[in-house]
Amino acid sequence: MHIEDGILTAQACAVYYAATAAMIVPGIMEINKRVKENLYYKPFLAMVGVAVFVISAMHLPVPVTGSCSHPCGTPLAAIIIGPCATVVISAIVLFFQAIFLGHGGITTIGANTVSMGIVGAFTGFLIWKLFRMFYSPIWLAAGLAGFFGDLATYLTSALQLAISLHGNVPLIKQWMIFFMGYGPTQLPLAVVEAIFTAVVVQVMVARRPDLIPGVLMEGEKAIERGKYAL
Amino acid sequence: MKGASMHSEMMKTQKPSVEWFDGFTKVMLLVMFIFLTGIFISAKYMASHKMEGGGTDDTVNAMASKVSGTKSHPFVELPGDAEVGAFSIANFFVGVIVGHQWTVLFGKNARKEETP
Repeated sequence: MHIEDGILTAQACAVYYAATAAMIVPGIMEINKRVKENLYYKPFLAMVGVAVFVISAMHLPVPVTGSCSHPCGTPLAAIIIGPCATVVISAIVLFFQAIFLGHGGITTIGANTVSMGIVGAFTGFLIWKLFRMFYSPIWLAAGLAGFFGDLATYLTSALQLAISLHGNVPLIKQWMIFFMGYGPTQLPLAVVEAIFTAVVVQVMVARRPDLIPGVLMEGEKAIERGKYAL
Repeated sequence: MKGASMHSEMMKTQKPSVEWFDGFTKVMLLVMFIFLTGIFISAKYMASHKMEGGGTDDTVNAMASKVSGTKSHPFVELPGDAEVGAFSIANFFVGVIVGHQWTVLFGKNARKEETP
């Protein structure tokens, strides 16, 4: 999903930059609010930021398709630090990946943040919330969030390319052509991202549920309190 | 005074025990070896079937360049092993930061402090 410089039109880059900027403002507000509520939030944010940096640059080989791709890490980040804060760290991560690792471009930071930081994070977060609303187990809700957040990221990247470049070809057709470049490799990696997200969220909740407000439902909180009382 | 000197004597005779190969390290090494084994097996399979193993990002960027008739390029070119070097340096410091913050946030002491 790291679209490079020189592919998207200047207008498209500007639109994606504007969309990213519009989401960064509530992101900074969310960070400021949660920093005041919890002293541990800043180091938590730093840890999640660097984790997203490495997860989204870690190319894993998929022998079925003979190519490599990477997970995103933003669905996980959205669950544990919040979706708006994830947009902020995604923009920072993509900037550093572009200037230090040659992944993506500078003019496309907006477009890449929209796919990974906004769509990936919000899709994952909404799926997490939806499943938790129905008292789904934490590992299942987190796993599905990771899976669909990952695929949504790549669907969005393919759509961004198709919107800019479809020309006389129908948009849907061009979208699917680009997605077929990602999809076969990304599908197994989405499963890997699902497992990874499920394990990390489950471990974090077991160790420090206080760091992730709202992660436990009322019944589960009572069980946790009971554990500590024993 | 006598008590203090006895304490310092005891401190001298008792060797501090640092468990460098503790349960956490063992689990992390096991997980790392599982991941690396998966990567090695996949790479071996891909090499034996003459698969290129290129990144999907590069593939799609190349497709997009072809469609647009422009030349895509990363902001910074990292030819050959330069990319591995940059990635290793970045990962080293990422590992140190994540490890440090993990200890602060999820270590036994932090847990004890926060739990009622």
